[in-house]
Amino acid sequence: MISLSDRATPLPLQCSIDWVCKYVSNGFCRVRAGASMNAIQLRNVTKVFGSVAAVSDLSLSIPEGSIYGFIGPNGSGKTTTMRMIVGILHPDGGSIQLMGKEVKGVPIGRIGYLPEERGLYRKMRLRALLEFHGSLRGGLNVSAEVTEWLQRLGLAEWADKPVEALSKGMSQKAQFIAAVLCRPPIVILDEPFSGLDPVAAESLREAILELRQRGTTVVLSTHDMPTAEAMCEFIFMIFRGKKVLDGSLADIQELYSSDIIRFSISNDSSRAGHDLGEVPGVEQVRDLGRVQELRLAHGSDPQLVLRELVSRTQLISFALAKPSLHDIFLRIAGPASADPSETKSESNVA
Amino acid sequence: MLHKVLLIARRDYLAAIQTKAFLIALVIAPILFGGGVFTSVITKKRPDIRPRLVAVLDHTGVAAAPVVESIERLNKMELHDPETGRQVMPEYSFETITADSADPDGQRLELSQRVRSGGLFGFLEIGPGALHPTLAVRGDPAAGLAWYANEGAFGETANWLDGPVNDALRRIRLSELGVDKSRFNQVLANLSVYRMDLVSRDKTGQVRMAQRNNLEATAVPIGMALLLTMVVMMTSGPMLPAIAQDKMQRVHEMLLASATPSELICGKVLAAIGQSLTTAAVYLVGAPLALKALDMSNLLPVHLLPWFIVYLISEITILSAMAAALGSACGSPQDAQSLNIVLIAPVVVPLIMLSQLIQRPSGALATGMSLFPLFTPVVMLMRQAAPGGVPVWQPWAALGGVIVATVGIVWLAARIFRVVILMQGKAPKLSELVRWAVQG
Repeated sequence: MISLSDRATPLPLQCSIDWVCKYVSNGFCRVRAGASMNAIQLRNVTKVFGSVAAVSDLSLSIPEGSIYGFIGPNGSGKTTTMRMIVGILHPDGGSIQLMGKEVKGVPIGRIGYLPEERGLYRKMRLRALLEFHGSLRGGLNVSAEVTEWLQRLGLAEWADKPVEALSKGMSQKAQFIAAVLCRPPIVILDEPFSGLDPVAAESLREAILELRQRGTTVVLSTHDMPTAEAMCEFIFMIFRGKKVLDGSLADIQELYSSDIIRFSISNDSSRAGHDLGEVPGVEQVRDLGRVQELRLAHGSDPQLVLRELVSRTQLISFALAKPSLHDIFLRIAGPASADPSETKSESNVA
Repeated sequence: MLHKVLLIARRDYLAAIQTKAFLIALVIAPILFGGGVFTSVITKKRPDIRPRLVAVLDHTGVAAAPVVESIERLNKMELHDPETGRQVMPEYSFETITADSADPDGQRLELSQRVRSGGLFGFLEIGPGALHPTLAVRGDPAAGLAWYANEGAFGETANWLDGPVNDALRRIRLSELGVDKSRFNQVLANLSVYRMDLVSRDKTGQVRMAQRNNLEATAVPIGMALLLTMVVMMTSGPMLPAIAQDKMQRVHEMLLASATPSELICGKVLAAIGQSLTTAAVYLVGAPLALKALDMSNLLPVHLLPWFIVYLISEITILSAMAAALGSACGSPQDAQSLNIVLIAPVVVPLIMLSQLIQRPSGALATGMSLFPLFTPVVMLMRQAAPGGVPVWQPWAALGGVIVATVGIVWLAARIFRVVILMQGKAPKLSELVRWAVQG
């Protein structure tokens, strides 16, 4: 495995998808510190639906006891990858190992799975439903565990109500409980925070962190980049079925050198935001309200840009920053990278 | 695997039977399915005995009085049940009307208006050719005999009048021919052709003859076929929409993390079998009680109950597996509704052809259909219940075919189910379903 620090060539800021794929496949952004046993190991996994390659030649190593974030635009292959790990879908090529053993069929008991869509029997009472899922996974003391989780996530008083009486957030919590019952060593969570209010999201976030403390390997997908940054030790991004990022947040940010200048200007500076795009070395200007953000072109000197800024306006503060995960996501999967011919949705699949 | 199959089956079974819809269907279905038979029994037990005034429009000038006398005589004989003394048919009274040869249509129209207004129950027209019928008269109601009434398509009055009216006309003809009046009864004696069961030896070696019980000959096979059809439709009918709904609500994805598609489909099939046996048990307990109350306990074909259970299980297995495959292929509730017709065809087709099949239960059509696995349960059961039964080898051969078909269909259905269960959006084409069934 090659460390980022070994990378000799600086990463271009305006990198194309093909370039990123090539870069990743060469192993430049695969960094593991103190690597332990991999809970999940994908080797050259491919899944094709009709003429669409939903996942293409994907290799991934997910360390035991980590929280691994899957990001990527809609239809990029996240859910398909998760379904293959769970064993619901079978890869057309490559292999998947869980805890060192190859997956053949549904790996019962080893994986808890929270699908993106809410899929619960609506007429069943909540407790009965959860006990059904726990029993299906082979749990022994399911009833007590259900009681514990219901109390933990504030659903105890809804235990004897039918699922259809629950709010969307409550249903999501219920589905989460169904996924983590019987303490599976691996938990796959597809969009666990979607549709949750901040309070519910926080309680779910705490539950996920507690799972990790118990040693559970958690794989979660999300479109919420700050959440991914805050929770995940590793980030994997898939785009058009191909891996485009894989590593820790710091490693990924390291790939994208400090090419962001954030600054604020005085109120009477009349030229704020005007013509900044014409400043030599500036590739993109974003007005964030109280703060302006400039993205530097590849190879440009931040000092020269700053000097030009000072000559044009009155700066109150400025900082040279690394791109956020959100920025990186947009750079890879933003409109500039869109290719209509390759963005067929996974109809009949996702 | 079995543990999970049983868990899934238990959940689906309880979900199916713990609904108000299931309980309502238990009550409503027999009324809908057996409505005709029930109504017929009730009608016979409680006939319409309101007095009926009938006009006799006589074009012969001589037939009205003997005809009325003949009808009244028969009416008087059949008016009361000889055993109970209870009135079992209406009392007829007559109004004789001389035909107006100048305006026969106007006269018929006027009498028809009286029938419509309720003044008359009906009118009998004795045409000018009724006394000396030629071939031409036999094909012309206006020249022969005609009955006008506001009865339904299956009104029985015309059939009932046939005997006494013709008897009276024959007596007039015999009189014209100079036959001695005292010999009329001998000449006109009418013998019934009795339907008999085939002769057989009983356990003691005695040759037994038995008059065929028409009610038993038709009610038992029809009843068995209807009961099987009803239970099958009650179970498999809601299955396809329910599976389609589970799929649309993404329930299966959650389950597939804990169970394989094969376990899922086996659980659903097992639940359907449990539900059908529960339904059947209710009726198999209720039917003897109902028959006893109607004093028809002899109609209960106890020897066919094991076959009934076997056929029920096989039919439900086939149809519930098909429901799982088709339901999982549905993209919308509308798809499920449309495909339900395909699902219930194996029980509805024999039902549609029931009258043909019951008339010739050993005919080529009934035999062929009973040996076709999808139709075997309903048609073979009906044939076995019919008088004369079927050759011993046929139910066993058909059962072999049913078992092979059941295994094959469940296997193909499981392959389709596995492929389409997670698909969303447009429903797959028939050609795609066939390809997945073959290729998996």
